[in-house]
Amino acid sequence: MTTTAGPAVGEQEIAAFRTLHSQVGDAVEAALRGKRPVVDLVLTALFAGGHVLLEDVPGTGKTTLARAVAGALGGVSRRVQFTPDLLPSDVTGTSVYDPRSGEVRFRPGPVFANVVLADEINRAAAKTQSALLEVMEERTVTVDGVGHSVPNPFLVVATQNPIDLDGTYRLPEAQLDRFMLRTAIGYPDLEHEMDVLRPGSGAGAVAAVRTVTDPARVATVAARLGTVHVADPILRYVTELGAATRSDSRLRLGASTRGLRSLVRCAQVHAAAQGRHFAVPSDVQGLLVPVLAHRLVPTREAQLAGTTAADVLAEVVASVEVPRPTP
Amino acid sequence: MTLGRTLWALALLLLAAVPLASGWAGSTAWALFAGAAVVGLGAVLGARRVGMGGEPAVALLVLIGLFGGYLAARGAIGGGPIEVLRDSVPRLLTAARPAPPTADLLMPGVVVVFCVAVVVAVSISGAGRVLVGPPIGAVVLYAAGALLTAGAADPHGLVAVGVVVVAVVGWVLLDRWEHESGVKSPVGPPAAALSGVAAVALVVGLLPSGEAFEPRELVRPPVIDVAVANPLPRLAAWAAQGDTELLRVWGPQFPVRMVALADFTGATWRASSLYSPIGAVAPPDLPAGKRTVTAEARVTIGALAGTWLPTMGRPTATSLGDAVIDPDSGSLVLPRGTTPGLTYEAVGEVDRPDDQELTTAVVPDSTTAARYLALPNLPLTLAQYARDAVKNTTSPYERAVALEQVVRLNRVPDAEAPVGSSYARVEQFLYGPDGETGVNKGTAEQFATAYAVLARAVGLPTRVVVGFQPVAEDADGVRVLRGVDATAWPEVYFTDWGWVPFDPVSGNDSGPSAAAKREVLNRLASTTITPPPPPAPGPPIVLPTPAPEAAPAPEANRLWLVPALVIGIPVLVLLVLAAARAARRSRLRRAGAAGAWAHVLDHLHVAGRTPPRHLTAPTIAETLPAPATALAVLADRATFAPAPVRTADDTWAMARQVRSGVSRAVPPHKRLWWPFDPRPLWRKR
Repeated sequence: MTTTAGPAVGEQEIAAFRTLHSQVGDAVEAALRGKRPVVDLVLTALFAGGHVLLEDVPGTGKTTLARAVAGALGGVSRRVQFTPDLLPSDVTGTSVYDPRSGEVRFRPGPVFANVVLADEINRAAAKTQSALLEVMEERTVTVDGVGHSVPNPFLVVATQNPIDLDGTYRLPEAQLDRFMLRTAIGYPDLEHEMDVLRPGSGAGAVAAVRTVTDPARVATVAARLGTVHVADPILRYVTELGAATRSDSRLRLGASTRGLRSLVRCAQVHAAAQGRHFAVPSDVQGLLVPVLAHRLVPTREAQLAGTTAADVLAEVVASVEVPRPTP
Repeated sequence: MTLGRTLWALALLLLAAVPLASGWAGSTAWALFAGAAVVGLGAVLGARRVGMGGEPAVALLVLIGLFGGYLAARGAIGGGPIEVLRDSVPRLLTAARPAPPTADLLMPGVVVVFCVAVVVAVSISGAGRVLVGPPIGAVVLYAAGALLTAGAADPHGLVAVGVVVVAVVGWVLLDRWEHESGVKSPVGPPAAALSGVAAVALVVGLLPSGEAFEPRELVRPPVIDVAVANPLPRLAAWAAQGDTELLRVWGPQFPVRMVALADFTGATWRASSLYSPIGAVAPPDLPAGKRTVTAEARVTIGALAGTWLPTMGRPTATSLGDAVIDPDSGSLVLPRGTTPGLTYEAVGEVDRPDDQELTTAVVPDSTTAARYLALPNLPLTLAQYARDAVKNTTSPYERAVALEQVVRLNRVPDAEAPVGSSYARVEQFLYGPDGETGVNKGTAEQFATAYAVLARAVGLPTRVVVGFQPVAEDADGVRVLRGVDATAWPEVYFTDWGWVPFDPVSGNDSGPSAAAKREVLNRLASTTITPPPPPAPGPPIVLPTPAPEAAPAPEANRLWLVPALVIGIPVLVLLVLAAARAARRSRLRRAGAAGAWAHVLDHLHVAGRTPPRHLTAPTIAETLPAPATALAVLADRATFAPAPVRTADDTWAMARQVRSGVSRAVPPHKRLWWPFDPRPLWRKR
């Protein structure tokens, strides 16, 4: 982000953002019907400057989602299919010799796009995964001592197949922590699936996505959303939630400070999407599982008992007193 | 059961047991109570360790406590376990005050403390158990102590305040502590405030009344018939052996009294023969004065033989457990008889009337004080002599002072004078023929009896007290009372001021009422208090007792206080709660949207629909009638948006709409308590 935040965002800016958010969401939902909550989460990560990890089975619309987002933004979208033999340079790009000019030029890889779909990221070797994750964090690719910035906005939508794990390289916790959100698209409901199956309705859906804004505007708005007001009681609430995860005996690893920071950032975007220039506790609660669940590591005993991180988070929320309106 | 809870409960019980322990002499009782509390708490811990449930543990441990009490007391109280346990409390109530620390008398207190500790321990054991048990247990122990000592153990309510403070501090700290440690404590604060208010109301309501409830008044104390000898005739003998050391006293300089003689037959004075244990309160037929001082004395019997136990004032407590008392006269008797070297301690109350008030004091009517006005077959001459002696007096006190002067003037004490208290001896003493033995001469017996007869004849309730005049203490702080110090003096009863002593022997003007006496004597001309001429002899005529001045009605029965307190304290508590709720409503109303939302939450609280603490305002509003959602949004905005925030002016009206919707779902009779429910007062959010 190169854009400075400036003074606190006003209600008029918030109203404009809400309109923009709604337009982008509507445009994307036109290609991915019945999945507005997932679309909103991806947009939240986009405007919060983060990345999304989609854990889903093949064929649920992950690529469609990424391309539709890129299409609505008017930006560039790339797709990388991760395989065991994929090299880091295949992702980031490499320097090649140009015989015509006699110079060595940098050929950008697929990460140089506004929306990058990293499909089945856990099938690539750790070295390749790290290359992508480094770009996600640094937003810069350094080749031969020269830094090359990726476009802004920059959203990586990585996917993992939760089944068929043979021959995969599980993402380590430290790298999972770099994803702002984790969610799943899931199968569409009956009505929307019939729409998709209806002859002539599915083909060209992504191509038909309307471009409702441009990447520069998105980058500007995203920077401004960092000034959405978060009251101290909300920050204390987030802190208490994080502390509760760290002291929970069923978790081997609790929420990191980066995770809590992401939670606040997402709450800001969510509040603005609701037309508010301030965050409220429900913003935090609604984003708790998508933002934190993938960062928590249950103990072996908890895993054997069938307890998931989402289960623990649900109990953590129930155990921490929420800040309420006080006179 | 956490360590914090246990220590808090123990502290409360030990503090509340202090007034109860003061019902026994020495510190043995408190030490035993502390041990019983510790054992009771520990026993529950042990029972919990072995997996025993709360109710079985209480039943078993209480049974063990009762059986232990039976074993401890069966030696002193005959009968089976039920009789022993049943009779233990009456025995305690009729024992000396403070009760001697014997096993049979300590048993009820120890058993009560143990049982309370057991119940309290069970009530607080286990996470999430309510924490009202320890304060209730403390209140039980405190109430037991207050009943046993009739409120004397904590006259200013300091222990009560301490109990409330410890309870509230414990509630606050435990609530916070256990909240932080994840232990749920549904205490809590509700009970804290309610109990605090109730305790303060009790203290405020009961202490100023100044009239402690005395359970001993509700029971008929055992009566012991003791054959006692009237010590009045022995005054001459004691005077004859003037240097014989009769007793030694350590204590303040008050007259030491042995017996008060109230029954006069016309020939002699008779001492009461029916006595009760000193702890048994049968209130005296004429109540004590409203101003008294307490005198504590230690007495060692010397050559004083008999059964009377000399004390200072009206005895209220003694270290002799088998001493008995005549509650009307306050005479203390040791049925087994005194022996040289017998040492005991006694606490007594001495009436200290106000000098100025005495001059206008009245005396009880002839019905109330009949015993002290009785003069069977009073000779007319004596009656006439008495009337002449009090001419020109305007008040009972003036009559009493005038008679003291009349009896004293021109008469001298004489240890060799004939003894006797009959009318004939009194007539001889007062106006016998010149030259006859015993005319104008007598011992303290004749002076006191003559005064008493004349005073009764003019309507003054009078009795004769036999005892010792105060003497100076020696270098060791000992007051050695010898035969020469033995004397008798009359006492006149004045309403509100009690028994006032007079000294017709020496006319001692240094007594507590000396100033009032001088004032009266100055007012009355000396001519009016010269001895009247001897009346003409005539047949004895029974003189009707003159009508005394009307006395105010005896103090109204205090029984009205009980229902007044039973009704008044709850009403007071309700009014305080309603006022506090109204004040909170007013504060919330001024607080805009957030206050309006807090008002809605208050209402949910009292309606029993307290939302879980992790639910946000909009989530709560989803279950409430309109316009709850709009109000929740406004409240969130008011709280979490950056200042300044402008919210709608009608948020309070919105809150009332929501409140009405919530109320409609509850039957009216269940809503009656809502305005007084204190729970919203300590609701954090």
